[in-house]
Amino acid sequence: MMTMDLDAHIPAILSGDTRAFGRWMAGAEGTIRSSLRSFASVLDVESVLQEALLRVWQVAPRFVADGRPNGLLRLGIRIARNLAVSELRRTKSRPVPEEDLERALAMAEQVDLTESGPDPMLREVLARCHSQLPDKPRQAMTIRLAFEGGRTDDELATSIGMRLNTFLQNFTRARRMLAECLRKAGVSFEEGLES
Amino acid sequence: MTQPPGSGSGSAEERDEEVLVEQVAGAYRPRARDELRYHPAWHDLGHAARVKAYEIARAMRPIEAALDGEGLSSTARAVLARIEGR
Repeated sequence: MMTMDLDAHIPAILSGDTRAFGRWMAGAEGTIRSSLRSFASVLDVESVLQEALLRVWQVAPRFVADGRPNGLLRLGIRIARNLAVSELRRTKSRPVPEEDLERALAMAEQVDLTESGPDPMLREVLARCHSQLPDKPRQAMTIRLAFEGGRTDDELATSIGMRLNTFLQNFTRARRMLAECLRKAGVSFEEGLES
Repeated sequence: MTQPPGSGSGSAEERDEEVLVEQVAGAYRPRARDELRYHPAWHDLGHAARVKAYEIARAMRPIEAALDGEGLSSTARAVLARIEGR
């Protein structure tokens, strides 16, 4: 697989191509999320991350490349960091060490960003594992993915005739079963998948 | 597939916390203009549970992307929906 500079998507992003921005996000999201790890106990990182990604889209037309790879990603890390720091000030939470920012920015230049998205083998194994899930856990996972973060879990649960707690317990089961299936197939994954 | 060891176990309190963590680990967030809107369940979690929600989200998003036809996670999909005004 080829390693790519995510800045290759910038011309299409500047033309207003939201799908190109989607491809940029597919490569950038994990690095920006990891750069916010030290805030996880004091801020809702998912909320900060989504807002930061939205702001990257808004400021992209004014982005000026500095000649180094992944400039927009490095800008995204700074936007997310600044947003998190302002939020800490607003909520009067404890500060977070500055080294995390430096580490994240260095990571943005070194990280292996692959052109073709998720590993095809992972896709294949996951599709098989997902199809083997029992009905209710699979239903819970499928509907949550289908609605793209656009509906509350309460709404999703109601739409498939489950109570909220049952829906979420089924989702947890699905997640853990996927982890078990991936492990059996020899595919590595982040520890959080089975927690 | 067999049920993984430990799933469904634990006290009622632990199970209640687990469903809150699962909600916060999802990509749904209330919409707002120019301000951060936390998931309501986030405020009910202690520090360790918030970190756990973060770790689950970090692990789940690549899985979601691999299950998605365009390789996008639910976070990326939620952001695109906001950009496209859906």
